[in-house]
Amino acid sequence: LRAEDKVTVHFVNRDGEKITVQGNTGDSLLDVVIDKNLDFDGFGACEGTLACSTCHLIFEKDVYKQLGPITDEEMDMLDLAYGLTDTSRLGCQICLSKSLDGMTVKVPESVSDVRQSVDVGTTTS
Amino acid sequence: MTIMSLLTNALHAYGRKKALERESIHLLLRAAGFHELPKLSASQSLEVPAAGERVLPEMFTPPQDAAEKQTRVKPLREMPGPSTISNLIEFFYRDGFSRIHEIQLKHTHQYGKIFKSRFGPQLVVSVADKDMVAQVLRAEGRAPQRANMESWKEYRDMRGRATGLISAEGEDWLKMRSALRQRIMRPRDVAVFSDDVNGVVADLIKRIHALRSQDGAGQTVMNVNDLYFKYAMEGVACILYETRLGCLQEEIPKQSLEYIAALHLMFSMFKTTMYAGAIPKWLRPIIPKPWNEFCRSWDGLFKFSQIHVDKKLSEIKSQLAAGKEIKGGLLTQLLVGKEMTLEEIYANMTEMLLAGVDTTSFTLSWSTYLLAKHPHVQQAVYEEVVNNLGHDQVPVAEDITRLPLIRGLVKETLRLFPVLPGNGRVTQQDLVVGGYHIPKGTQLALCHYSTSLDAECFPSSTEFHPARWVRKDSSDHVDNFGSIPFGYGIRSCIGKRIAELEMHLALAQLLQKFRIEESPYTKTVTAKTHGLLTPAAPINVRFVDRQ
Repeated sequence: LRAEDKVTVHFVNRDGEKITVQGNTGDSLLDVVIDKNLDFDGFGACEGTLACSTCHLIFEKDVYKQLGPITDEEMDMLDLAYGLTDTSRLGCQICLSKSLDGMTVKVPESVSDVRQSVDVGTTTS
Repeated sequence: MTIMSLLTNALHAYGRKKALERESIHLLLRAAGFHELPKLSASQSLEVPAAGERVLPEMFTPPQDAAEKQTRVKPLREMPGPSTISNLIEFFYRDGFSRIHEIQLKHTHQYGKIFKSRFGPQLVVSVADKDMVAQVLRAEGRAPQRANMESWKEYRDMRGRATGLISAEGEDWLKMRSALRQRIMRPRDVAVFSDDVNGVVADLIKRIHALRSQDGAGQTVMNVNDLYFKYAMEGVACILYETRLGCLQEEIPKQSLEYIAALHLMFSMFKTTMYAGAIPKWLRPIIPKPWNEFCRSWDGLFKFSQIHVDKKLSEIKSQLAAGKEIKGGLLTQLLVGKEMTLEEIYANMTEMLLAGVDTTSFTLSWSTYLLAKHPHVQQAVYEEVVNNLGHDQVPVAEDITRLPLIRGLVKETLRLFPVLPGNGRVTQQDLVVGGYHIPKGTQLALCHYSTSLDAECFPSSTEFHPARWVRKDSSDHVDNFGSIPFGYGIRSCIGKRIAELEMHLALAQLLQKFRIEESPYTKTVTAKTHGLLTPAAPINVRFVDRQ
């Protein structure tokens, strides 16, 4: 692939760290996470088949507006996403294009993060 | 029943564990579990919670809040619920198995949104709160477990068969799930089946014309579920086997009739089937019938799949021999591919067909019933369909995006009559749910029927209101863990998109062609649990031409 087919994406993981990678145009953000071995626990559990919402990502407002149309099936799954925001989408449904070059996407806190921190304080029984 | 309950008691008395109860739950699960989801239907109902303790949403608040609010995690022994004895009486003596959904509601009201029940040695924790259900499902690992499937496995081992998506667990399950979901879970992968399904819908409409004419001017079709059963079987088979079975013809081919008989046997012996697994092996020589019938119905189901898989396999071989390029749908790809062995293909074709018939037909039956009972709602859905498609344009999957009320109709039907009134999960790690510590390995029953009808989740929850599902715009989100009829996550129903396609296309075309009306034969029909949530009586309605 030529350099112009590459798109730079900055992920902000659950610890707030920024991870910058390059993906190919046409690939989904889930593909990028898998190809680059990004370690986001539990991400993309159903392998992009729209059966879960674990590849939930949060976009910047301007970027969010440029993303392609959202299907009913994706909206139904977003209804079940943890920590949903107004600029949430599923990473498996967002394909990279040149216009998205340099975008920053946030991996939302997962329910397991909450669970772990609660467990630390409370496992008494 | 009575004999069975005596048996149960006797077993208890002798302390011959192997738990009837436990097994019966599993059986239930199995029997109920036609959907790929967890099949706990029985279990959920089993328990009863404690009076109204509203523990919980602590888990859902951010950690710092949680830490502040959290007082003490309660041990399981403090969880409320019905006594073992009252449960036994409810289920074995009062035939609670057919009222599982009602008992689920009753226990939820009585004991609260999380409660425990004991079926002998098997403890079941029922969860009837949408946030807790969400918590459990979001905490899942890579290969969630629904319930114990021992009797299914035992049959398969005995016959040298493989397990399929319903009966397999762990890595075996994951391997097959990965192969299958890549072919039949993505909406766009399923959309290509539109034409095949529409061929079946055309036969359905023809069949309605033929059946209603038997009632002369009355135009009533008696027992629509019988019709939809054949539609669903034909529909799922045209996708799974890439062939037509002829179920909607006047004369149904013998092979298909045999399969239907096996399926009916499996279904009619739902209770027997439960006992088949529940009855300890040492008792089988004395009470052989349940296990024998269980095996006989599985034999019939496997035989049918094998016939169709083998037929496709020989077609492929002859095409290969003739040097032709192999093209085809799901079964062809599985046979040509290497992800699954032939036995695994037989098993999955068997289990997916089993899972895809009654589930779809009951839902279509309820939709039809609700439309007949609510003419104003029907009119609104009808107008949406004809405004978009007229009376004659045959819809395909892409058109359904412009028919939000058709989607809402299916969602609302499944909310009021979730075909799987409950589901199961075995926890794979320790969890804190509703303020209680739930150890790893606990059988949970997710009470979908209760949450679906919970007015906190759905205002005017007992009313039929498909428009509640229509979004104002794409930012209009609702937290809808209260109604997840196909489950959620990696062990959710693998046939979800296929079932939706079959239902959306059929309902849209039925409304284009007919006004569905009550007739003198239409009675009030309630639900009963028979493994699945089914209509307790035949649904008879009139199909009147729109044009």
